[in-house]
Amino acid sequence: MSQRTERRGIHVDQSDLLCKKGCGYYGNAAWQGLCSKCWREEYQRVRQKQIQDDWALAEKLQREEEAAYASSHGAQTQSHTQSTAPQTHPGHTSLGPFSKFEEKKTNEKTRKVTTVKKFFSPSSRTAPKKETQEVRTTSPSLSRHASFETDQVSKDFVDFLKNLQKPGREIHKQCRAFIVNMSGKKDLGADELSECVQDFYQSMADRLMSHYKGSSESVEQVMDQVEKYIMTRLYKSVFCPETTDDEKKDLATQKRIRALHWVTIQMLCVSMDEEIPEVSENVVKAITDIIEMDSKRVPRDKLGCITRCSKHIFSAIRITKNEPASADDFLPALIYIVLKANPPRLQSNIQYITRFCNPSRLMTGEDGYYFTNLCCAAAFIEKLDAQSLNLSPEEFERYMSGQASPRINSSDADWPGAGQTPDVVATNPVLAQLNHNLELLSSLNSRQETVMEAAQSLQADLLSWPQAVKREVQEILEKYPLQILPRTVSAIDANNMDNENLPPPLTPQVFAG
Amino acid sequence: MSAIRVDAKVVMLGKESVGKTSLVERYVHHRFLVGPYQNTIGAAFVAKPIQVGEKVITLGIWDTAGSERYEAMSRIYYRGARAAIVCYDLTDSSSFQRARFWVKELQNCEEHCKIYLCGTKNDLVSGDRSLRQIDYHDAQDFAEEIGAQHFETSSKTGNNVDELFQKVAEDYNSSAFEYMTEETSVDLGQKKDSYFYSCCHNN
Repeated sequence: MSQRTERRGIHVDQSDLLCKKGCGYYGNAAWQGLCSKCWREEYQRVRQKQIQDDWALAEKLQREEEAAYASSHGAQTQSHTQSTAPQTHPGHTSLGPFSKFEEKKTNEKTRKVTTVKKFFSPSSRTAPKKETQEVRTTSPSLSRHASFETDQVSKDFVDFLKNLQKPGREIHKQCRAFIVNMSGKKDLGADELSECVQDFYQSMADRLMSHYKGSSESVEQVMDQVEKYIMTRLYKSVFCPETTDDEKKDLATQKRIRALHWVTIQMLCVSMDEEIPEVSENVVKAITDIIEMDSKRVPRDKLGCITRCSKHIFSAIRITKNEPASADDFLPALIYIVLKANPPRLQSNIQYITRFCNPSRLMTGEDGYYFTNLCCAAAFIEKLDAQSLNLSPEEFERYMSGQASPRINSSDADWPGAGQTPDVVATNPVLAQLNHNLELLSSLNSRQETVMEAAQSLQADLLSWPQAVKREVQEILEKYPLQILPRTVSAIDANNMDNENLPPPLTPQVFAG
Repeated sequence: MSAIRVDAKVVMLGKESVGKTSLVERYVHHRFLVGPYQNTIGAAFVAKPIQVGEKVITLGIWDTAGSERYEAMSRIYYRGARAAIVCYDLTDSSSFQRARFWVKELQNCEEHCKIYLCGTKNDLVSGDRSLRQIDYHDAQDFAEEIGAQHFETSSKTGNNVDELFQKVAEDYNSSAFEYMTEETSVDLGQKKDSYFYSCCHNN
């Protein structure tokens, strides 16, 4: 549209200036080439149709919604959709009965809307539809994103609460109300959001305790489910929110860990010997677990990943040292694992867990212990300097700037650090593993060659065998040519000349008795 | 996940090799082993239920890394702790200096955290008095000054170990009542305690 106006500046055609409807008045580019009167008519027509379409869509969605949820909490859903429906309705219908009195007032507004709209979509129909969809997604009962995971969690939650009967309904109602409430608070800072969630946990736990007289175990169980449900639903809006600098910190940490790639297991004084296959297996598992943390949505699941990772580290240390690991062994090992894994969005995840995890779990339990250690590891990596690795500042600088690497240096005795890491190359588990693999491959190669040779000789044998057989058969055939002798014998008796001299054949005798 | 519900967090602080891990190991598994032992996966975190009067209090005992390179991080460890057992080696005066450092840190950052001063390796000193570098009375004076309980333990013989942890649990139990009655602050840790208290009550 804007291109058209430009072109008109160069070459003005009289017909272009007139209203496209051909009413004789001049048209205006802002009104899609129509005159003001025709534009108004046209706009109203499109607008009305749109409203009708939107309504049809809304009703369809609402019906689907009700059908899906009628079984578990039909009454609530309906009340929600009904309460939200009138909100969207008046906004559109106010344009419907268009009295001339209102016309002037709204005219200004509509024009603004359409000019903006024009830049984004030439067909004026799609844009408003999107608008209404956005309105709809913020409306509570429809805030369910089409994600499969969220639906699954909602279903699980409902199934879980079904067993609780009346309290279950109450819990569900509260959780939904809370999510609705939270969706209206997107602009709040992360700390406020965290406070809201924590308050909710607290009041929910108190209620369960006092109203339903639940035992502490069952309350814990319910709270776990509540946390799972709520946090899965809120995850997208509260994980690494834009109001915080979490993302910047994530990137900083990631860069930092990348820059520290040269840190060896010896520098951290980790008591893990990766040359033992069992240990390196545990190390790999620990790394996998800590990386997996980012993919989980529920804080508790994230904690579970950290705990699993820690357990693998403990096993690795125990295998190496042959005694249970203490914190003095564990923390350096965890730091080493974090450095090796460079887990995605580490800071965001830590912040998210801190803000939204059920505090009873985080502060005291075993998961809390491992999480605290992870926080320590992250803090350590952030502040890591020459002293904390027992290096001189110059060495540290050199390694950080990439001018030198402890692994390459170790063969070079001129470097001051060479004395400390002389056997890195020899003990470097990756290189050892690589060499080992190469050996395996070469032996496999030779074995395969033998197999190939044997196969080829077998093939040759197989090819020559029928020929040999043929030849043999031929030889035998030549040696003993087939001779068909005339048939001479016809009857046994015919040759027998002395037939008459023979005694008479025996006759069967019957013996009586 | 860890099924055990923990009532109170207890951190072990102290210089490297003063015997924090051994102390926990002794208390939880009633053993002190010099050579290799492999029955437990790790002694870094232990949840231990303790009978206090009618009730059972579960202490979550957190071992910490004592190395100086992690000193800056120690604050993360004792956040929200109900009790801290600050260990020092009776045969190593530098470890007592480090203990003083932690006591100061705790007093600054965790006012609700009760401090227990614990001299370890008592068996070595009772075997050979000349090995003792920290006088009992000096430590006792220091403990009184900071309002802490003072113990001298031996993880090898088990001397005083049970008493130390029993005291921690008892103090927690009685302080839980106090927090319950004077819950004025909005501190999350405190709320949590009331939560645990009330559940114990229902049991």
